[in-house]
Amino acid sequence: MSFHYSLTEFDGTAKPVFVGVDKYRQLLADELFWLSLRNTAVYTVFAVPLGVLVALALALLLNMKLRGMSLYRAMFFVPSVVPVVAASVLWVWFLNPQYGIFNGLLRLVGVAGPGWLSSPAWTKPALVLMSLWSVGGTMVLYLASLQDVPEQLYEAAEIDGAGPWRKTIHITLPIISPVILFTVIMGLIGGFQYFTQAYVMTGGTGGAADAALFYCLYLFQKAFNFQDMGGASAMAWMLFVVILVITLLTFRVSRQFVHYEGK
Amino acid sequence: MVRLAKYLIIAACAALSVYVLSIGPIDETPAENEVLISVWYPWAGEAGERLREAIGAFNQAGVIEPGTSNRIRVIALYARNDISTNQKLFIAIAGGSPPDVTFVDGPQVAEWAHRRALSDLTEMIRRAGIRQEDYYPPCWRQTVYRGRVYALTFCADPNFGLFWNKDAFRRAGLDPERPPRTIAELDALAERLTVRSGDFYDSIGLVPWGVYGSANSMYTWGWVFGGQFYDDRADRITCDDPHIVRALQWIKSYDRRYDKERIAALQSGFGSGERNPFILGKLAMHPTVISGLREIRRYAPGLQFGIAPLPYPDDEIWGTGEINSSWVGGWCLAIPTGSRHPEAAFEFVRWLCATDEGTEWVVRATGSFPGMRTCRYLRWLASDQGAAEDPARNKLLQILEACKHQRPVIPVQAYYLDQLRRAVDECLYKDVPASRALASARVNTQAALDRARAQARRRSTR
Repeated sequence: MSFHYSLTEFDGTAKPVFVGVDKYRQLLADELFWLSLRNTAVYTVFAVPLGVLVALALALLLNMKLRGMSLYRAMFFVPSVVPVVAASVLWVWFLNPQYGIFNGLLRLVGVAGPGWLSSPAWTKPALVLMSLWSVGGTMVLYLASLQDVPEQLYEAAEIDGAGPWRKTIHITLPIISPVILFTVIMGLIGGFQYFTQAYVMTGGTGGAADAALFYCLYLFQKAFNFQDMGGASAMAWMLFVVILVITLLTFRVSRQFVHYEGK
Repeated sequence: MVRLAKYLIIAACAALSVYVLSIGPIDETPAENEVLISVWYPWAGEAGERLREAIGAFNQAGVIEPGTSNRIRVIALYARNDISTNQKLFIAIAGGSPPDVTFVDGPQVAEWAHRRALSDLTEMIRRAGIRQEDYYPPCWRQTVYRGRVYALTFCADPNFGLFWNKDAFRRAGLDPERPPRTIAELDALAERLTVRSGDFYDSIGLVPWGVYGSANSMYTWGWVFGGQFYDDRADRITCDDPHIVRALQWIKSYDRRYDKERIAALQSGFGSGERNPFILGKLAMHPTVISGLREIRRYAPGLQFGIAPLPYPDDEIWGTGEINSSWVGGWCLAIPTGSRHPEAAFEFVRWLCATDEGTEWVVRATGSFPGMRTCRYLRWLASDQGAAEDPARNKLLQILEACKHQRPVIPVQAYYLDQLRRAVDECLYKDVPASRALASARVNTQAALDRARAQARRRSTR
């Protein structure tokens, strides 16, 4: 249905008029389309690897058998359960340049904090930081998969004189690599569909100088602010193709890095 | 047994859908000799409460539906005027069960009329004896699309009077009774009124791009500098007119002098109500909308402030602009296409927008002015007695009387607003030259406008 609309000029209520690939052509010539794609790509390139690294680090730390570990696990998991809109509103206040926590802490060490959401250069770093707050879900996935690593492998490695670092690199990571692949792909898909936080935190505009104009936010604006359903549908299909290509690429690259125990 | 359950579920779904499909726009059933009409209004909180009181007054007035002996009773529903609720309205219209009356923001009338969401009211207005001369010209212009009238002005906000904080003036050693008259004076005063504290600002004189958003700021100062945003004879967008470019360059000059990042740091603590920066003394001069009066009276009744017309450029650098420039904002009332009781709906619209009692209720509900210039309240306010009893509103009324502008009456006004916002932001944040930023806004909006016109032509030839 939406593919059909992407070939029409349609404002949502009047009858759609067939225009062929006009909408796609208009998009490719639209500088905001490329800007939104760039914003989304930049965000994803930073948020996904950082998210994976942080979640992995936390999972490895939380895998240790220390007292109170279940409490720490819960602490790190809870933020990911907070509803996205509520979290976004909360973070608007965290990131407030004058009264927010971050700039307050920076002020304690004598650094003048940036404008965060009101500064175009710092908007995306702020959003990447916010995405790290909700790594709880990914972390729990890694924790679960860490339980699956056979103990004998560690013992065998210790006998061969491997230290903790080499054990991690040569045993832990390869064994849980399928899960890491899964979270990377889900992270990429989620990154390209990033919308809610940007919408709530910028009030539906693209933020300071369109720094937070992500692809799906621009799609939403096109559909509901400017009543260009045809253009919005075209954007949706182009996003589908982009995500498909990236996912296929990831699978191809993963063959080198992912080790499947069963095989 | 399973089969029975399956049939029961199917039967329940069928019954539910029949019920759902039979729901019209109103759930209540009218009493004997009564016709119910529904109104969607866009304000929650206090403003919504006051509007409901106004509607209650209408219901008490016992207005009769023309051609029948039915009393009209209005049922009011809160429906915020934002993107998603507007979608609900359009879907309701497309589905054939819209509200009978809806509030529509002034510049939206053209866009919604273009989308065929609003009924043509020209005949009903003519029969009711309402004339174009009864309304302020910019207000009337907003309600007309392609020669037909689609709405009546509910309220007319004069945008803007320059509010200045007399205490802040005194503290800076300035004459508190002398507001700036020209842009040059405005710049000089802003310099004196900006108080630095170390690397940051304690208070600012003026934030030109902070007049209710970047787009509204561009409109305000663009007209002050003598520009035109739309040539309606040629149907061309003209936002890169040299006057408007100069206005944007002037806005940018405040960034160069005061650094927008530092201003943004101070602005981030601003809010409304008690956190209104003008009330707090953090912003010494601010073009303020008329509802700002209510806020000041409520949160800072002792505040010493003045209201003056906006300053205008009058020198070699910024050229000459428009003296006493302003534009009109405010809401209109319209009847969506497919309303089941258009005549009754029009009686409500007429009562609220074109009668003395109705317009007095508008003042009570919104604190703003009615669009009908000949109404009893405005005649009183313009008189000596009105000037003595409510000098602030009287001042704003003078600004409204001289008002020449309204936002362009085009079917792509939301897009134009966004393009102007982007132009200002690009100029401020990415240091794009003003002429280039506005030129690209013009090109994009013109393309969207041309598409909308083509769409209208296609529809009319079918």
